[in-house]
Amino acid sequence: MTEEPRREGLDSPLTRRQVLHGALVGGVSLSAGGLLAACGGGSSSGTTLTSSSAPAGKLKYGGILRVGATGGGAKDTIDAHNPTADTDIMRVWNLYEPLAVRPPDFGPLEMLLAESIEPENGSTKSWIVKLRPGVTFHNGKSVTADDVIFSLNRITNPKAPMVGATAIGYVDIKNLKKIDNLTVRIPLKFANAAFPDDIGQYFIGIVPVGYDPAKPVGTGPFMYQSFTPGQQSVFVKNPHYWQTGRPYVDQLVIIDFTDSTARVNALLGGQVEAIDNLPSGQIAQVQGNSSLKVLISPTGEWQPFTMRVDAPPFNDVRVRQAFRLIVNRQQMVEQVLSGQGRVANDMYSPYDPAYYSSLPQRQQDLEQAKSLLKQAGHAGLTVELVTADVFQGVVAAAQVFAQQATGAGVTVNLRKVDTGTFYGPNYLKWPFAQDFWATREYLPQVSQGSLPTSPFNETHWADPTFIKLIAQARATVDETQRNQILQEAEKLEYDNGGYIIPYFSNQIDAYSAKVGGFTPPKSGFPLGNYWFKNVGFVA
Amino acid sequence: MSRFLLRRLALGLLTLLLVSVVVFAATQALPGDAARAILGRDATPQRLAALRAQLHLNQSVFSQYGHWLSGMLTGNLGTSAASQQSVSSLLSGRIGNSAFLVFVSALVAIPLSIVLGVWMAMRRDKLADHVGSTVSLVLAALPEFVIGILLVVVFATNVFHSLPAVSLIPPGDHAWQHLNDVILPAATLVLAVTPYISRIMRGSMIEVLESDYVTMARLKGLPERTVIWRHAVPNAIVPAIQVSALQLAWMAGGVVVVEFVFSFPGIGAALVDAVGNRDVPVVQALTMIIAAVYVVLNVGADMATILLTPRLRTAGR
Repeated sequence: MTEEPRREGLDSPLTRRQVLHGALVGGVSLSAGGLLAACGGGSSSGTTLTSSSAPAGKLKYGGILRVGATGGGAKDTIDAHNPTADTDIMRVWNLYEPLAVRPPDFGPLEMLLAESIEPENGSTKSWIVKLRPGVTFHNGKSVTADDVIFSLNRITNPKAPMVGATAIGYVDIKNLKKIDNLTVRIPLKFANAAFPDDIGQYFIGIVPVGYDPAKPVGTGPFMYQSFTPGQQSVFVKNPHYWQTGRPYVDQLVIIDFTDSTARVNALLGGQVEAIDNLPSGQIAQVQGNSSLKVLISPTGEWQPFTMRVDAPPFNDVRVRQAFRLIVNRQQMVEQVLSGQGRVANDMYSPYDPAYYSSLPQRQQDLEQAKSLLKQAGHAGLTVELVTADVFQGVVAAAQVFAQQATGAGVTVNLRKVDTGTFYGPNYLKWPFAQDFWATREYLPQVSQGSLPTSPFNETHWADPTFIKLIAQARATVDETQRNQILQEAEKLEYDNGGYIIPYFSNQIDAYSAKVGGFTPPKSGFPLGNYWFKNVGFVA
Repeated sequence: MSRFLLRRLALGLLTLLLVSVVVFAATQALPGDAARAILGRDATPQRLAALRAQLHLNQSVFSQYGHWLSGMLTGNLGTSAASQQSVSSLLSGRIGNSAFLVFVSALVAIPLSIVLGVWMAMRRDKLADHVGSTVSLVLAALPEFVIGILLVVVFATNVFHSLPAVSLIPPGDHAWQHLNDVILPAATLVLAVTPYISRIMRGSMIEVLESDYVTMARLKGLPERTVIWRHAVPNAIVPAIQVSALQLAWMAGGVVVVEFVFSFPGIGAALVDAVGNRDVPVVQALTMIIAAVYVVLNVGADMATILLTPRLRTAGR
């Protein structure tokens, strides 16, 4: 279902208190909206968190872990650099490893195959990667600088660019330099302080020179045994995994489920030990079963409404501002997510230390919206909103928005299309549509969607001041200084941008009480970053 | 009779050809193509161009269709755009699984509904008949996925835990090696088709039981068992055969929904997936198979009708 490879970015998670605070602020607007009574609106985000990170001592070694995964089909792949669907992403996390990655709690970048990724001589235009010594691939070969160079070349190959090609497109591939067996210099085409986050992503796994996806070899905690697209993959424990004591289970079986009811039934019937993406309507049923557990985590995932800043009527900033004031965010969280999310403030990357949390929370203000539309000469505006089932809740959010907009005299005609059409030739051209994004730090997210050079700039945002600020921040090594610049950039988007970001959604998974070791994934990658190396049967 | 059959077969082949043209045209009318469907959100222009060239999507629509048709005629179903495996290797196991599921369901459903139909006809307007009619009407009104989910709730997840909730047949294995996994999906199909066939059987049986020759047989003093099974049923069964054929053909397509509910590795899931992927070779192959099942079953039902109806059987001589 999730078609987007989820990329991540920089630091420090939102505290629990902030999460709850966000929910409370939303609660005020809830009573203002008054429409919520019917929804009951009880549990706010974060409050039902089921933490299960069972201490490692309580898990035993051995056993077969069967995981039910969302989606999958004939286009499933096991290629390290080409993951698209959830099932692909799950396989990639367990077979391969990048140099570094954000852990499930979205804390600081965790070094995996790299020992360090440092700017060379204090300039963010060139980076030195030192590899962890003594790591071997599944075929016994040691991981060396040559493999890193091979992998980056394979990803950015212009004849067959892989998923990561856009994220690291600014790496000066021709001038990658092996300094010694375990050290590589990576020069960039422009200075970028966010480089470690761009390269520290699951789809930039390091594979051995001459890698052939038909015989998949990586360094991950599990080794390939079999793979049938659309059905299941069987992996076995990597006995030489570099992280001592991992993984716990002998075998990992990933089973594809096109239908979410079938996935939940498989868990209820004991045919799998864990499933990702539990539909929020089924939380109560699973919680009522003592042999099962629900894993709920707040995330930084967002599903924005996208207004094209260069297309009428949204080329008038007052229309964009009015539309942002139309949204009753708390009502949306309740009606669309059944309360499984928290109110957002039209800004993304909530876990970035640069996140501008002191900007006032935007509330529904229909009078102000009406007056802005009137000033812009658009009183009684009619617009078309293009929506598709691209992510859980997106279509429902469009319906709720259309209904809320009537309060400001705006008629929103919904045009629901299928996913193929949505991402068809008109994708990135719709004047008013929706989309979805993963948890990511601010600068990596900007590279993906908020610059004229970004591959997915849905809103056509191209503010010259913004562009200048981003270039400046990328070249700034000092973090405090950089974050100040970034907040200026965020303020610009907050005031004039084309996104309406009503909420951050929760990630909800479920598993059998027989297993443990899952961490709530703020990263938004289900079941604790799919890190099944940490999962075992309870002793 | 053989001329009649030959004509029916020729018409059937023409139907298949027309279906292939219509389905091909429909897949072309769908927005987006396989390359876009495979890359999804990551479809940057560079990646799209590279994949389109790899999948030969740059060729004209006519040459793509011609390519497919000539392959089909030589027994080559082509290569799946999404998985890059040959369509026949991708589908062979799944076709076997679906065929087995439909076969098992038919094996249970047809005799069961004929017996039920006769039984209800003989107890016409009595309590048993009313109960039977009501239950079959309710079952006929329920969509098959509802029946499937009810069966799962009762037998797998909430009440009893005796049967698997989903049919996780390991790849490479066949459905008949995992009979446990077939029971619930087959039961769903049986419950979905039995009402139709049994009601038709009941209706035609009532008609026959009122006919003169049955009265005659009874007056002759033949035992009731002989009257029913030798005289009435063979005459009442023809409409039931026609309906059974239609229901069987329906199952070949309706199995899609049931397979979805149970995650059963058959053609249903493959078809849904292939349409989503704009995987034209797979869609074509599967629709051809389902259409062929319709054609064959209809011709088969006509044949059976002729064999069971003396007037038609001798007409050609």
